[in-house]
Amino acid sequence: MPMVRFDRVSKRYPSGNEALSGVSFELARAEMAFLTGHSGAGKSTLLKLMMRMEVPTRGEVIVDGSNLSRMREGLVPYHRRKVGVVFQNHQLLFDRSVFENVALPLLIAGTSLKETGRRVRAALDKVGLLGKEKLNPIQLSGGEQQRIGIARAVVNKPALLIADEPTGNLDPELSAEIMNLFSQFQQVGTTVLIATHDIALVERMNKRRLILQDGQMIAGHTATEGVSYV
Amino acid sequence: MSEKSIHPHGASAAELSGSEKFSAYFRNHQMVAVESLAKLLSTPASSLLTWLVIAIALTLPGALYMAVNNLQQLSGHFEASGQMTVFLAEDTRETDSNALRLKVAGLDQVNKVVYVSPEQALEEFTQYGGISEALSFLDENPLPAVLLVEPPLGIDKEELNVLVAQIKSFKHVDSVQVDMAWVERLLALLALAQRLVVVVGVLLALAIVLVVGNTIRLAIAARTEEIRVIKLVGGTNAYVRRPFLYSGFWYGAIGGILAWLMLGLCWILLQGPVADIAALYGADFYLQPLPFEPTCWLILSASLLGLIGSWWSVQRHLVAIEP
Repeated sequence: MPMVRFDRVSKRYPSGNEALSGVSFELARAEMAFLTGHSGAGKSTLLKLMMRMEVPTRGEVIVDGSNLSRMREGLVPYHRRKVGVVFQNHQLLFDRSVFENVALPLLIAGTSLKETGRRVRAALDKVGLLGKEKLNPIQLSGGEQQRIGIARAVVNKPALLIADEPTGNLDPELSAEIMNLFSQFQQVGTTVLIATHDIALVERMNKRRLILQDGQMIAGHTATEGVSYV
Repeated sequence: MSEKSIHPHGASAAELSGSEKFSAYFRNHQMVAVESLAKLLSTPASSLLTWLVIAIALTLPGALYMAVNNLQQLSGHFEASGQMTVFLAEDTRETDSNALRLKVAGLDQVNKVVYVSPEQALEEFTQYGGISEALSFLDENPLPAVLLVEPPLGIDKEELNVLVAQIKSFKHVDSVQVDMAWVERLLALLALAQRLVVVVGVLLALAIVLVVGNTIRLAIAARTEEIRVIKLVGGTNAYVRRPFLYSGFWYGAIGGILAWLMLGLCWILLQGPVADIAALYGADFYLQPLPFEPTCWLILSASLLGLIGSWWSVQRHLVAIEP
């Protein structure tokens, strides 16, 4: 069973704009892939469908065996707990410390305090911010804030990690660091999908590439198709 | 370290056992209850404003209730007796009055008859401050002789009417005044006041729901970003709702306690003057504070109203916030 399966998925917004049309692809477990395409090609919409932040107009989105189109509203939060997500704008809360930001998913899931402390420190250690848990995120640099976001996304040990332009505001060196971090998660079995328009970085990583153009997937439907198209 | 911490299928919330989930749920409630109270206390000025609005809104019907409650007790003293005053005709001679007294005392439904001569009445009257001077201007005693007739306790209205008619038919009797009349009027007024308590109470309860609802609406608006992030990382609607519901509860509960304190203050301020008035009327009456049970109801319903207000607000505004 693949981790993610899109079956002829179309998404039309109420404004009439068709963000995705007839997109089909699969992501295997422990696979890492990039999602590229011009801005407005539908990358964000595709990620939102996986988070059940949007519902497809047609077709089916299946994540970890659950059909999101048919999922009851009450089960959506439990689905989201299985998916770690990283945003370009971090989505951090600046009225609490780094530790509390990273601990949020565990707090919501009802993890015990002892276990929470252990896991938050492990996640912060992984992203190299262990000494800064008591600071406010606002005191940290853009790259560090992004790493807090990543620590929060992985603290619950999700089976699927998705990222929307995670290196958008970072210089090339920091970007490469962040990408390395993502591939380390893949190496221990997490499925990773990263939307980005940083083509140079994607080419260096040498991973599968899904390419969207005007809402259609023009390359990378299957793992074997390779990376011929730019 | 920490390769271990990122297993793809490591323990997650879904894998907590039943009892663990249960205790996690209660731990969260406990934590949110304390945190939401701490949050309100961390902005004392604005919280106090809301608390005072709630307290005042509750004090009004509370004070009315207290007044009605006290008057009811007062009327209770008289309800049982149908004491009547028999005024004798102006030129009744003393011997006739005496004969009449004996005649009335001989009736079945009469317990006790006291004769008050015009002179005695005048003397009694002059004991009240201010009146004696006015009376001294009069050439002659304007007061008639009076028989104070006391029927047995618990006499019913029918029997009382029969008795009154009987006494009225006697010679030398000018008029009979049953003290029951004012008791009846008082009871009718009390029934009206009770209705008023309900009407005022319902209106102000509505006001509390609106005030708390609006306060919670502002709190939600201030925390939109936080709510979005919480929903994004898998917070359920119940989880997001919880701190706001607890805030509403605390607004109501503490508002209710403040209202109780305010009613207590009213009681302390009014107790003295009321006792003075009661003493002037020779009544054995003390202003009673709000009894224990209504106090519990006051605080309980205040908490409930706060909860309803926040629930109403949360239902309208929280669901609209989606990541």
